[in-house]
Amino acid sequence: MKEFVYDSVYLRREDFEEGRVLFETWDPNARYAWDAGVAISRYLQELRAGRLIGRSCPECNRVLIPPRMFCESCFYPTDRWVPLEDTGTVLTFSRCYVTWDMVKLEKPQIPAVVEIDGASQGMGIMHMLGEVDPDTVAIGMRVGAVWKPPEERVGSVNDIAYFRPLED
Amino acid sequence: MSLLHRIQHADDMFNWHGDMPTEGRYTVGIAGEKFFREIKDNGKFLATVCLDCDITYMPPRLYCEQCFAQLDEWLEVDPLGHVHTFTVVHHNLDEELLPDPQIIAFITLDDTDGGLVHYLGEVEADEVYLGMPVEAVFKSEDEREGSITDIEYFRPV
Repeated sequence: MKEFVYDSVYLRREDFEEGRVLFETWDPNARYAWDAGVAISRYLQELRAGRLIGRSCPECNRVLIPPRMFCESCFYPTDRWVPLEDTGTVLTFSRCYVTWDMVKLEKPQIPAVVEIDGASQGMGIMHMLGEVDPDTVAIGMRVGAVWKPPEERVGSVNDIAYFRPLED
Repeated sequence: MSLLHRIQHADDMFNWHGDMPTEGRYTVGIAGEKFFREIKDNGKFLATVCLDCDITYMPPRLYCEQCFAQLDEWLEVDPLGHVHTFTVVHHNLDEELLPDPQIIAFITLDDTDGGLVHYLGEVEADEVYLGMPVEAVFKSEDEREGSITDIEYFRPV
């Protein structure tokens, strides 16, 4: 059988713009609505009111945040709402010099998982750190939430603008 | 989970609305490039032929699906065919009612072993029948851009 290998061609932006290559565009309508459920609905309502809330498990006594209606460790239904502080400890963090859509940043964004005070060990939420020198961020750093003004809150985790280091 | 956990007021329930912006570009490929360029520039169909298997590929393929041989035998095909099967569409992709129903058909092209899916025009839905002879109606040359929609529709001969 005759062997045939086509040259691989790298297409550049100009090839499309100047009509050197024929193509179809596909722009699907991918809007969606996600039902937040019982636990996350309450969590988002409390965020709108400027509070953090968790759920506790009667079996292992862990306090879970974000709240869920069952404990993923013992499969017991959680049974109690637990108000939590809006302060916590940096569990892990990253310095990002590119945004999600690949724009280069001079000043890095610092996403971090913050273990929330009052919740069990390792229970935290992912958020951004702000008002902080990227070089001084460290695991174990104490941080507190900076809330958006009440009229700007919509019931979203972004009702917290960011977490900033606590003054000791 | 007990009844106590049930949401009592619809206002307590959150729906999270989002959008996934995804735009794709699909290049037509090496054989497709030749096929669509010919439609754009000359308003003609091209097919590839496997002489060993006696198959005429429409739309053209670069290799034979039976014997995997590379195909470099190109053949001009008349824009004539027959309705193989058809359906009448009343709604668009967003489930909105169309002002005029569209007839979509698979049209086998004469002297080939393949065909194209396309609209039928200049005909009422209840006049269409299987095996109806049709011909392609091309857009004018300055409106063609190298796409399957350069064919406006197929109409009865």
